[in-house]
Amino acid sequence: MNSFWALSPLLLVVLAALVVLLLEVFLKKETKDYLAYLSSLFLAGCGIILMIFWDKNYSYFDGNFLLDNLALVFSLLLTLATILVILISIKYISLQGANYGEYYALLLFALSGMLIMVSSQSLLIIFLGLEILSISSYSLAGLRRENPESSEAAIKYFLLGSFATAFLVYGLALMYGSTHSLEISSIIRFLTTGTHLNLMLLVGLGLIIIGFAFKIALVPFHMWTPDVYQGSPTPVTAFFSVGPKVVGFAVLLRIFHFYWETAFHTQTLMTALWVISVLTMVVGNLIALRQTNVKRILAYSSIAHAGYLLIALIAQDPTSLIFYLAVYLFMNIGAFTAVTSLGRKGKEYVELNDYSGIGFKYPWIGATFAVFLFSLAGFPPTGGFLAKFFVFASAVRKGFTPLVIIAVIASLISVFYYLRIIVTMYMKEPSPSMQILTRNPVLFSVLFLCLYGVLQLGIYPGNVLGFIRQAVAAMPLL
Amino acid sequence: MIELFLVFLVFGLLGVVLVFMNKLLGPKKPNPIKESPFECGSPYLQEGINPVPIMYYMVAFLFLLFDIEVVFFFPWALVFKEMGSTALVIMFAYIFVLVVGFVYAWKKGAFKWEL
Repeated sequence: MNSFWALSPLLLVVLAALVVLLLEVFLKKETKDYLAYLSSLFLAGCGIILMIFWDKNYSYFDGNFLLDNLALVFSLLLTLATILVILISIKYISLQGANYGEYYALLLFALSGMLIMVSSQSLLIIFLGLEILSISSYSLAGLRRENPESSEAAIKYFLLGSFATAFLVYGLALMYGSTHSLEISSIIRFLTTGTHLNLMLLVGLGLIIIGFAFKIALVPFHMWTPDVYQGSPTPVTAFFSVGPKVVGFAVLLRIFHFYWETAFHTQTLMTALWVISVLTMVVGNLIALRQTNVKRILAYSSIAHAGYLLIALIAQDPTSLIFYLAVYLFMNIGAFTAVTSLGRKGKEYVELNDYSGIGFKYPWIGATFAVFLFSLAGFPPTGGFLAKFFVFASAVRKGFTPLVIIAVIASLISVFYYLRIIVTMYMKEPSPSMQILTRNPVLFSVLFLCLYGVLQLGIYPGNVLGFIRQAVAAMPLL
Repeated sequence: MIELFLVFLVFGLLGVVLVFMNKLLGPKKPNPIKESPFECGSPYLQEGINPVPIMYYMVAFLFLLFDIEVVFFFPWALVFKEMGSTALVIMFAYIFVLVVGFVYAWKKGAFKWEL
């Protein structure tokens, strides 16, 4: 249905960002807590609107901006992720020298870019959203201005990100040249009616994959990930590891879900994705074994998870892809929340040695962090196990058994470095010099919310799966 | 199509090969002065990179803000009669966003030249 209301969630997020910017310059308060609460309030409103829009299929701009159920599910996930990230940054940014009100505005702008990406039907508009997301991300990465690592992260992310964007735009140009359209539905229609194989189209699709592979950190386009994740402020790292990944897979899902059924279905792209997926899982997990910085371990773990997610894309199972993304959101933000909590004024504990004895010194942080790590490794009864199980099961059903065998071996390797953190936390003597700020109720509530999410999705996933199935069933075709 | 692709491939590879041939075949006699970023024969006076004032970039940013605003006014003025009130609403929304940016820059002190 064509309605102006389709824009309301997006407008609300942008309005929130503008209000936050203006309040920041006019009130000039020392603490920025109120900005965080205000932005979370706006985002909660946005989430409620998104839920009301369920099954309504509002669209605007001649159907280019379509809030179908799939877009709603992704938008809700992204909004939730942003709220959680905003809440865990409240204490962190004042402790770690990034106390700028623009922080929240930038997060909100990034969210608005992601909302545009998941609900747009035209690849050019998706590119616009990607740019909004990227430019906000570059500044977020370098927000700890006194810290050289943070500046390094920003510059690396900026250079490699713009390089990747160039790939994407070139891909879009080739795509337009061969199909005369940038709307996903008409591209698919062109592909179904096409008669001969078009090299230009294939190269265009490949370049588009490369552009998004940079954003979701697939090997061999992952080089920026560890450095950027390490240098960025920790809550921003949590945001990077979830937000761009969710939108990247959302867009790839929209492009590729129907691609395999078209006349142009070639083995080339399938093989390319297959190889990328294997490389991502194996390289991500193997390099993670040698890391001693917890943020870098989590960075490589997020690379490996992108590989598992790609299996769901190859197996053409959107339900388990979205379910995996939902679980991944909770467990990864949860893990980064635990890392965020371990710090005090001007000091962050991110080396593995700092974590010795945390399990006994700070039992709640230790226990929840351990659960998140178990979930990332894929132990039952956490959500991580079910997510992997669904993905692998559907891949086996589609006949990708070798891929699944490699994936299982890769996740067995990953158990080592996840357990290494847990062993350090529980089986080593605590260092007496380690002191953290524990009076941070908001952060702890986020920690427990993520714990609830991981366990709920692991033990009783029925409700969420039902919603996701509805969303996938309503995917617009042609 | 394939021929065109081959032409690009051959000349692209030729470019790469020529760049690396130079590095492989050329004589190499490095010395510390030669390795330095500014090779001018005399030792340099200061180390590394110092922070530079970014006032000029600020001006460039603000110029972009106002310049782009005006650029978008022209097509808007051309279609204003056909679109009527919708055009007005859209333009006001657009100007609102720009004004917020302007006010933000003003209150942040971007217009003060002194550091």
